[in-house]
Amino acid sequence: MIKKTFKIPDMTCSNCAMKLESLEDVLDGVKEINASYHKLQMVIEYDESKLTDRQIIAAVKKKGYQAILS
Amino acid sequence: MSPRKQSQIFDPVILVTLGIVLVTVAILLAVFQSDSNAVSVSNNSGIMSQLIVAFITGLTTGGLSCLAVQGGLLASSLAHQIEQDYVEHAAHHKRHRGKKSQPGPRSNSSLPILLFLVAKIVAYTLLGALLGLLGSYLTLSPATRAILMILIGVFMLGNALRMFNVHPIFRYFSIEPPKFITRYIRRTAKGTDTFTPLFLGALTVFIPCGVTQAMMAAALGTSSMAMGAALMFAFTLGTGPVFFIVAYLTTELGSRLEKFFMRFVAALVLILGLVTVNSGLNLIGSPLAFSNLIRGLFPSQSASAAGNTPSRAEIPEGELVLYVQNGGYFPQTLKAAANESVTLNLITDQTYSCTRDFVIPALDYYELLPDTGTVQVTIPAQKQGSRLFFTCSMGMYTGMIVFE
Repeated sequence: MIKKTFKIPDMTCSNCAMKLESLEDVLDGVKEINASYHKLQMVIEYDESKLTDRQIIAAVKKKGYQAILS
Repeated sequence: MSPRKQSQIFDPVILVTLGIVLVTVAILLAVFQSDSNAVSVSNNSGIMSQLIVAFITGLTTGGLSCLAVQGGLLASSLAHQIEQDYVEHAAHHKRHRGKKSQPGPRSNSSLPILLFLVAKIVAYTLLGALLGLLGSYLTLSPATRAILMILIGVFMLGNALRMFNVHPIFRYFSIEPPKFITRYIRRTAKGTDTFTPLFLGALTVFIPCGVTQAMMAAALGTSSMAMGAALMFAFTLGTGPVFFIVAYLTTELGSRLEKFFMRFVAALVLILGLVTVNSGLNLIGSPLAFSNLIRGLFPSQSASAAGNTPSRAEIPEGELVLYVQNGGYFPQTLKAAANESVTLNLITDQTYSCTRDFVIPALDYYELLPDTGTVQVTIPAQKQGSRLFFTCSMGMYTGMIVFE
């Protein structure tokens, strides 16, 4: 398991954080996602063997946001 | 053509125009609020007028400010439904390819919005009942209410500046529900499409907007379980139309228009925030309140003769007369002799608006005036050049006495 932080600069409200956290249920290999509108970031804990950064960024993009690995 | 595009059967321009028309109607209703009070009330309708005011407050300001705070929860409940509708829509389109096209099932975002609003109304009515019950044990003084209003106003201003993306610090004005709640909501959202908006609508009780909080304070002030419930019901019902239309538009329109609406809402919340802070300042009798500042700068403009009406003749010479009308206090500036006590006669004549809730903050004087009659207030001697501000309990209508 690895924990990474992504900057999400285009979050506009607390609901965006909720939407991003819903990726927990979609992405295989994710243990936990903590998104914060206050910090404009998303901390994701996941299994590297099952999921890549690129897949995470793509999934975030599908939700309508841009993710930048910090 | 993508399912997203196919789902937009209504022309966005028409919807935007409709929204603007409705908001204009709401603003007009607010402007003519005092007149409608005068027309619609009868002797026995003090309660009714209070409910009408609550409804109009919801219809005009509450809907938008609630949306700014609670819109996220609604959007979250709609997201799943809309996503599912699009998938069904796409599947339907695929099945009927080649056949003469029938209009497919369009995204039905109106049902979850309705369910959300119904749950919200029920939850807030229960909250109103609870607050009314609590209010029967507590009483909010005008000063406490003023502080509450100023805090609410600051909260609204912060939220407006957050929506305008002025500075990252304002993001902290957005309430983030605890993780366990959002997680629970998300898990629930995967269940039936009916339960989710109902549950989320009820959940809005935990994140009331500024105007709602003010109304909650008013419900607390009713000191009655039934009246508290009725007040919150009328207000939440009033928030429904604007909430529904804007929510419908923001879910049905593209992100570009959504951003436009957010800016529109932000501008309105900013104005409302300023008005709320100003009302709070009025309620503590602050000379920094907008109307008091204006009166201080241009005293001649607001001063008017008190002796124009026949009732003045019945009042002994040397006493002050203030006409408490549905649309405000007349004259707005009274002049009295300094260094001696003076009697102020408050005259009401079929007055049913909040002007009846008369407050002199500096004297800690608060009185609910009869709808028709005269109430006398003895004002102790004041220093020369001092000003004594008076206001209604909502901080909307104001005036002052200048001691010369």
